[in-house]
Amino acid sequence: MLKNIQEWILLFVIIGAMIIIGNWIGYDIMPLQAIPGIITLALISLAGLIIHRLIPSKKIPSIAYIGLLAFILTIPGFPGSEQIVTWTSEVNLLAITTPILAYAGISIGRSWADFVKLGWKTIIVGMFVLVGTYLGSAIIAEITLRIQGVI
Amino acid sequence: MTQQAAQLWKDWRLHLLVFGIVMFTEIIGTHEIPIGAGVILLLPMLYAVIIGIALFFTPLVKQKQSIHAESLVFISVTLLIAKFGVQAGTALPQLIEAGWALVFQEIGNLGTILIALPLAILLGLKRESVGMTHSIGREANLALITDKYGLSSPEGRGVMAMYIFGTVFGSIFLGLASGFLATITPLHPYSFAMATGIGSGSMAAASLGPLVAAHPNMAETLTAFSGASNLLTSVTGLYASIFIGLPLTEKLYEIMTRDKSNKNKIGKKSKAV
Repeated sequence: MLKNIQEWILLFVIIGAMIIIGNWIGYDIMPLQAIPGIITLALISLAGLIIHRLIPSKKIPSIAYIGLLAFILTIPGFPGSEQIVTWTSEVNLLAITTPILAYAGISIGRSWADFVKLGWKTIIVGMFVLVGTYLGSAIIAEITLRIQGVI
Repeated sequence: MTQQAAQLWKDWRLHLLVFGIVMFTEIIGTHEIPIGAGVILLLPMLYAVIIGIALFFTPLVKQKQSIHAESLVFISVTLLIAKFGVQAGTALPQLIEAGWALVFQEIGNLGTILIALPLAILLGLKRESVGMTHSIGREANLALITDKYGLSSPEGRGVMAMYIFGTVFGSIFLGLASGFLATITPLHPYSFAMATGIGSGSMAAASLGPLVAAHPNMAETLTAFSGASNLLTSVTGLYASIFIGLPLTEKLYEIMTRDKSNKNKIGKKSKAV
């Protein structure tokens, strides 16, 4: 457990540094300004990973704990919520996604050989599966939001 | 995933490569390609995934780096989820206002069955189509199908094919499609943001990215909706597949193939997968 926590912290330092630099190059936010935000996000993630490890039932994925924790901490009125919001707003969402997808790309390379073996039918069906899910949800959300008068 | 996380931080080769990719792609920045009435947004993350795949085929990346990268995706996604979460808490009043839309759009994830299953059957796929189209086929669904039919069954081959397809092509495809759909359809960006919670962190990132880039003034609300949707899907997604998605796919498959042949095709091999 302690070994894991140490490992996670070191990884968050490495990834956090990349996000800070990407945040600077791509979105003109000075590193010093973004550091409190990235530390906050990393601490929330770390807490979620630890909670997941401590709870014996593994039915709920660790990202659910992380999302829920971050959510509760920033509900208006929660002690310190404004501070967390101010800090984390200095970390651009897109600056976080770039390293994720860079790692994903390197990891995906291994599946490439399997990918090219898929038939053209799978590729076509696959695209419809993704668009079907995405558009299906968007249409239902649109209808509900209109009925409710939100948009 | 992280259970066997041993000394991943020491893989300097991997981290330096990713660091290089991040700097390079952020310097290139965002570009737009207009197609008809729509716009395709090329974001740094999109170049990053393609460069990452390309690097795998150079001597710079060894098998070890690629294996480590998989755990790193998981660890870095946690930061994204935390970012989603902090936006969602702030936007609690808006979330409550839009609550029903968030709940109902989860059902929309079943849209894949209505659209993709008929297509798969039309293309001549047999029982594979059940595995392929009952969900977007991420890890949880792979486990579900394996548990129910076995991985070497036609259904198992179907879900495996979809899993590979989604792994390699999912984020690239959704990253391109999301921005494009948002510009050519009359649907509100809020609706698309709610749709990004489809059960995969990297696909959520890839589909939300173009929305945020195209509507920077709505960035916070879009992120909040996306975060709430992701949270909902991560908790309810598997159960929706078990209790609604898979039975619905089975039923629809049965109805659609009944008049073609009097159901003696179960388990028969198709060469398409």
